[in-house]
Amino acid sequence: MHVPDGFVSPQLTLPALAVSAPLWAWAARRHFGRSAADSLPVVGALTAVAFVVQSIMIPLPGGTSTHLLGVTLLAILHGPLVAFVCESLVLVVQALFFGAGGFTVLGVNALAMGLLGPLAGWLVHLALRRASPRGAALVAAWVAVQVSTLAVALVLGLQHRLSPAYFPTPLPVTLAAMMIPSLAVTGPAEGLYTLFALSVLRRAKVREAL
Amino acid sequence: MRSSFTVLVLLAGLVPAGARAHEVLHDVERGRAVAVRVYESDGEALADAPFEVFSPSTPGAAYLAGRTDRAGWLAFVPDAPGRWRVKVVEAGGHGLDTTVEVAQAGAAAQGGARAGGGAAFVLRPLLGAAVIAAVFGALVLLARRRSTSG
Repeated sequence: MHVPDGFVSPQLTLPALAVSAPLWAWAARRHFGRSAADSLPVVGALTAVAFVVQSIMIPLPGGTSTHLLGVTLLAILHGPLVAFVCESLVLVVQALFFGAGGFTVLGVNALAMGLLGPLAGWLVHLALRRASPRGAALVAAWVAVQVSTLAVALVLGLQHRLSPAYFPTPLPVTLAAMMIPSLAVTGPAEGLYTLFALSVLRRAKVREAL
Repeated sequence: MRSSFTVLVLLAGLVPAGARAHEVLHDVERGRAVAVRVYESDGEALADAPFEVFSPSTPGAAYLAGRTDRAGWLAFVPDAPGRWRVKVVEAGGHGLDTTVEVAQAGAAAQGGARAGGGAAFVLRPLLGAAVIAAVFGALVLLARRRSTSG
């Protein structure tokens, strides 16, 4: 889902980095400081699992593929800012060690996949959890994926309008190519993954999942 | 009569030359083209994906544009040594933007990052998870040290 280096111009990457940097600093100070020593092992394990699920490609008709995000779970359990920092770390490791994504687009990808999607998922979970905890987690994960995908598609569409040399495909084509798999495959898969992971954490009596 | 015959002979002589001007010939030179295969991190080929190749001599305009074949291959014949830029863009935002170093003779060595297939499909998640575990291990140690010293 994430945007590779060279697909988005500095007109978009620099403002995204300017928004992300203070958010990273604020979230790190608030959620990863001295008081977080007890929760860090669980957060670290869930971040590592998020990296693994993002590495597993789900093949789609037409020769392309998609992957899960895995960070909605972190947003539900620890809040959207924790998900934002953890997804940013996943993106840094992907860029640094595997050449996936990249550093110029780190702000764009972190905001789309780490903040906007998980924030939307967290809000949906907050609104629905009293009615049905499981249903809330399922819908929250589905919504999170749709919001993240839509954000990436809109950035690419905006880039096409600013300069097609960076991204040659117009927004309607990008929207269809990204949203149809997201609505039909990635969203439901993320929902099922989140439900499964929550039930495993509850059985393991992880405090945040109880 | 004689002059008409001479003109006819001259025209007949020119016909093969005219035909040759419209003939398309070809040369086969092996080892001149640079072939690049693009694929997902699990080894799945990026088939029929639009691509552009930019020469180091004219980086502002595409030297070649086309689509990858069904096995994810694209190929170009470089006309200058240097760093050639290869950009593959799928409508869904998948793709890559990398460089290929071309030597004087046309032999290429890929620059930039290389995605892995095969064993990398298994090693990649394990290595990434290990790096993230190490980062969080360091954070836990730091947080505990701070809480004991504070």
